[in-house]
Amino acid sequence: MAEYKSDPNKVWPTGLTEAESEEVHRNVIQGTQIFGFIAALAHLFAYIYTPWLK
Amino acid sequence: MIYGKIWCVVKPSVGIPLFLSAVAIGSFLVHLMLLTHTTWLPKYYEGKPVAAVKAANDSSGGAPPAAVVAQKSQ
Repeated sequence: MAEYKSDPNKVWPTGLTEAESEEVHRNVIQGTQIFGFIAALAHLFAYIYTPWLK
Repeated sequence: MIYGKIWCVVKPSVGIPLFLSAVAIGSFLVHLMLLTHTTWLPKYYEGKPVAAVKAANDSSGGAPPAAVVAQKSQ
């Protein structure tokens, strides 16, 4: 059975290597986390300071 | 990182706008559906005239607007 070995220097069809892809993905995840945190905070403030759901 | 290699097969110039659009459209639709299918969100978005809140404040001894509006709606 052939074992899959990833070549770190291989340029994939999108023009990125695996390391570059991981770097892009880290930023996507971080952006999502920051967006989610701000959205949760906005909902919390709306709940506290307005008659929402009251 | 899990799924970190996705950008090897999906162009970031396609995948990232697609992802952001999905988030934007999804959150817009959730709010739109809440607006059209509940009674409390339209009321909340409609708000109350400043005069009504002021009058309520005066009559209840200067309580914060949120508490006053909540009291009034009960």
